[in-house]
Amino acid sequence: MDISVDDLAGGITKVVLRGRFDTTGAVVVELPFNKIVTEKRKIIVDLSAVNFLASYGIRVLLVGAKIVKNNGGTLVILCPDSNVAKVLKTAGMDALIPLYQTEAAARAALAS
Amino acid sequence: MANSEASRLVLRNDVAELKRLAGWIEGFTEQRTSPDVSFALQLCLEEAVANIIMYGAARDDPLEIAVELERNGANLVARIEDNGRQFDPTRAPPPVPARSLEEAKVGDVGIHLIRSFATGMNYERRNGRNRLTLRFVEPPVAPAE
Repeated sequence: MDISVDDLAGGITKVVLRGRFDTTGAVVVELPFNKIVTEKRKIIVDLSAVNFLASYGIRVLLVGAKIVKNNGGTLVILCPDSNVAKVLKTAGMDALIPLYQTEAAARAALAS
Repeated sequence: MANSEASRLVLRNDVAELKRLAGWIEGFTEQRTSPDVSFALQLCLEEAVANIIMYGAARDDPLEIAVELERNGANLVARIEDNGRQFDPTRAPPPVPARSLEEAKVGDVGIHLIRSFATGMNYERRNGRNRLTLRFVEPPVAPAE
């Protein structure tokens, strides 16, 4: 699994995750992901290139969203309709972390 | 393509084995199942086997986890057998929806995901072993117009 960071206009940080966000993948990205959520305040986590998500990945996202909120910031998820989105919704994450299908919508949510 | 096919994999209780499990499932489902059933199978087996690896043994006791896949027409059956401590996931209570991000509990979604993505789930304790059977059914193919 890969993680990369794009700084967007308006102080928004886009964290792009790629690959299988299962236990094996989550262990790889957990530390760099935690560092970003501790330092940044407006975060889009882009799951467009994530083709699989399991509970350990959900745990990493939820812990990250809690840290950002605790620091007075907002974390949103960009995830097109897919089985990955279905996992997020089944786990009840859509009620806790804002979920957007397009980058424009995710950016607009963080711009206000 | 044969109408009925089966495969078996034996794993140890080591988190590194999950990667081997994922590769093996991918090999089995390729050409045999729809992408949605393949995804559901990958998810349910990852969750079930990760639970056994993390909680099935006291301390570092070695465990044997056997996974069997059998496809018969539109039906796919996965059986997971382990010699770890007794645990019936079908009796696990559903998670309580959190009211806010602050209150949300981390963890406890794995069994809920299995329940939601598998078509059926059955548990037996037999000869000191846990045996979890998961069923998946291919959705009917829409008739061509």
